[in-house]
Formats: sequence, C-alpha cells, structure tokens
Amino acid sequence: MASPSLSQLGFEHRVIVGIADLAVSNNPSVTLATYSLGSCLGVTIYDPVIRAGGLLHIMLPDSSIDPVKATKQPGMFVDTGVAALFRAAYQLGAEKMRMRIAVTGGAQIMDNSGYFNIGRRNYEALMGLFQKHGLRVAAEQVGGLVNRTVYFNLRTGEVRLKVSGQPAETQLLCGI
Amino acid sequence: MRHLDDYLDKLTNLPPAPRVLPELLDLLSQDNVDSDRVVKVIAYDPGLTASVLQLCNSAYFGLATPAEDLLEAVTRLGFNQVYQLVAALVGSKAMGPPQLGYGIDKGELWKHSVASAVAAQCIAEAQGENQAVVYTAALLHDIGKIVLSDALVHSYAQLIEETERNQQALVDTEKKLLGVDHAEIGGRLLARWRFPAKLVDAVTHHHAPQGAGQHGQLAAYTYLGNMLAHFVGYGYGHLPFALRGRSEAMEMLGLSKDALPQFMIATFEKIDLIDALFGVAR
Repeated sequence: MASPSLSQLGFEHRVIVGIADLAVSNNPSVTLATYSLGSCLGVTIYDPVIRAGGLLHIMLPDSSIDPVKATKQPGMFVDTGVAALFRAAYQLGAEKMRMRIAVTGGAQIMDNSGYFNIGRRNYEALMGLFQKHGLRVAAEQVGGLVNRTVYFNLRTGEVRLKVSGQPAETQLLCGI
Repeated sequence: MRHLDDYLDKLTNLPPAPRVLPELLDLLSQDNVDSDRVVKVIAYDPGLTASVLQLCNSAYFGLATPAEDLLEAVTRLGFNQVYQLVAALVGSKAMGPPQLGYGIDKGELWKHSVASAVAAQCIAEAQGENQAVVYTAALLHDIGKIVLSDALVHSYAQLIEETERNQQALVDTEKKLLGVDHAEIGGRLLARWRFPAKLVDAVTHHHAPQGAGQHGQLAAYTYLGNMLAHFVGYGYGHLPFALRGRSEAMEMLGLSKDALPQFMIATFEKIDLIDALFGVAR
C-alpha cells in the first residue's frame, strides 16, 4: 500500500498496484497504475477537494470464496477490497459523499454456461455493493474482450486507460 | 491435412526439436526411474545442463548450498522441479521472441505460457494427476502461434476486426481466414517433434477439449490452464478474451462451478514461480 508519507517526495512518479492489491495517496505527484485487467476490476476513488484517492485491483466477487485469504489480502475480493479502499482513503481525510468513483476491467469470455463468467460476476457484485451503500459510479468502461491498463493521476483526478489492441496513447475515462 | 504441413514446411526459422522433453516425459511415466538416467538425457545438451544447474542454484529455486552437478540437483530438488526448469528453458527458446503477426511483444507469449502451465499444474496437483505432463501440455499449448505468426503479419487487423464483428472466438476466425488454426498446427508440430500422442491431442484440442477423445482430460487441463492465465492477468494480444466457454472441460475433470475461483487463488499464490520461470528466457 502506498503510504501518505510519499507526499514528501516532489517528483512525478508511478506507483504500481498489483493484482489483488490496493493503494491510496494524497500526493499530487503520484500516478497510481495497475496493469492488465482482464476479468479483474479496477476501481478508483477520488476526493477532488483534498485531492486524495486510491486504486484497487479486484480479482473475485466475494470473500466467502476464501475468508482466510480475505483477511490477508482484502484487495482480492469485491466486498473486502472496496471496504479496505474506502477505509484507507478516509484515513487521508477523504469523505464518502465527495468521492468520485470509476470502474474498469471485467472482461468476459463468450460463455453461456456460467462456469466462466468471473468478469460479469465481479461487476455485478461491485454494483450491488455500491447500491447498498448509496454510491454512484461517475465513469466506467467494463466488459468486452480486451485487457485494460489503468493510470490514475492524483493531481488531476484523471483516469486514463490503455486498452489492448487500441492505439498506444492512453484514452481519458474521466477527469475531476 | 496437407495445408497444415504446408505452413510448417514453409517456415525457415523453426526452433530445433526439443528432443529432451519427450524423452524425459517417457522416463517420468515409468516407476522408480534412476536419477542417473534422467541426468544422462539432459546431459546430451551441455548448454542446457549448465543452464539448468545455474537455475537450480538461483534465488528462487535456490539450494542452501549450491549443487555441484546435475545429479546432485536432481537428487536434492527432485525430478519434477528439475523437469519444470528444463521444460521452461526449452520452451522459452521457441516462445520468448515477439510474434508480430499476433500483436505479441517480446516475452508476452512466454509469460502467458508459463502462467498457463503453472495454473494447469495447480489443478493437476489438486486432482492427483501427473503434473509434469499437464504442465508440459499447457506450457506448449500456443506453440502453433510461432508458426502462424508470419502468415498473419498482413492479416492480423482483419482477424481482429472479423472476430469482434462476429463476436466469435479468435481461433475460429483464424480457421476461417487461414484454413488452419494455431491449435491444430501446434499439435502437428509436436507430432513432428515426436511428443507422445496425448500431448499432441491436448494441444490440438486446447480450445475444445471434447474433441480430444481418450485424451480429453489432458486437453481439459490445458484449456483451463489457458483460461486461468487470462483470468489472472496473463493474457496477450488485442482481444485476449475472444475465447469460448467450454463447461465440458470442468465436467470432464469433475470440477464444480466454484472450483475456478479457487484455482485462480491457487495460481495467484504462485506468481513468484511464474516470474521465476518467465525469467529463464532472459
């Protein structure tokens, strides 16, 4: 997890968030990034007033799949991951009602059997959770057959995507 | 089938046959094999021997005190671990380079292959199946792409466009455009290299395991290893999820619906191993 103490550093730098992990920061020089979201989901939250936010790379829909794992690696699951992400952002002074949320990833193979619908289940679990807590999503790009890489700039609040097979430049998903 | 061989015959830069793998697999299938015999097969290739020994003594696989020779390494690390390294060294030669026809950068195909192999092995371990065979099939499942890449250099955009427009599996668009697909050509390549029939069949049918007949289970492991690699983020290419769900792969192995997330976690736990095996290509 990126520590807020990073704010002492002035230079622009990128903090990589691994699979099943999360990071928060209030350092405007930081860009949080996560690579190669397939069926996984990337969730960014941003409080534009204090310019603090976080990025979460979720792998699976529900911590009931492996409760022991969830205590060690809360970012792996939708429920424990979102809770941990918000909690970490609150510690930086972010407030729930100011939070701008963006969601990416959740690619889904062609499957009617329900055995391989991890991407869709991740997304549905996330939306269910947000609804329960009265949270609205400001921007999303989910599903499809592609991999996505996410860059989240803490200074501007911009979330940019690099989508597999599309031009090398990143595309803007949302700003403040 | 002439068409398949045409593609193989036309290719000038095919990697040399990895003779050591079929021979080791043959030894693995026997009970109580002497370490001597294993070492002898690997030692035909002095370069390989040196690399294997170096890896056995490297950070990830590291022995507390370095092994002096291959026999000691096999004795101390075990045959399965040494085999895993030998297969990785051999496979990385073929699948490390970029395959521009598929929009694959250097190392991407190799990383996917290693992740698939480790994922498939996780399932095999849980099922009490022969791990080395499953690992090998999944490691080599996309080897046909090194053959078709040249042919696709000028038609990859069309392959992607048609796949997206028709919402069909990439492998099906391949077949339509080229008359062959990477799975069957990979199987044919392994047959030429004298791999056992079960590996040929598993690779040939890794997108539709029910077609592999008596070797359906091995094809199912391979199919699921490939799928898990994609799910855990080791996909590549422009439309990595243009894959068809085959529930029969789960049924053939007696796996329940809940099993896949469990194996995703098991694969995630082995990310260090995936990285270490990926690193042998450097």
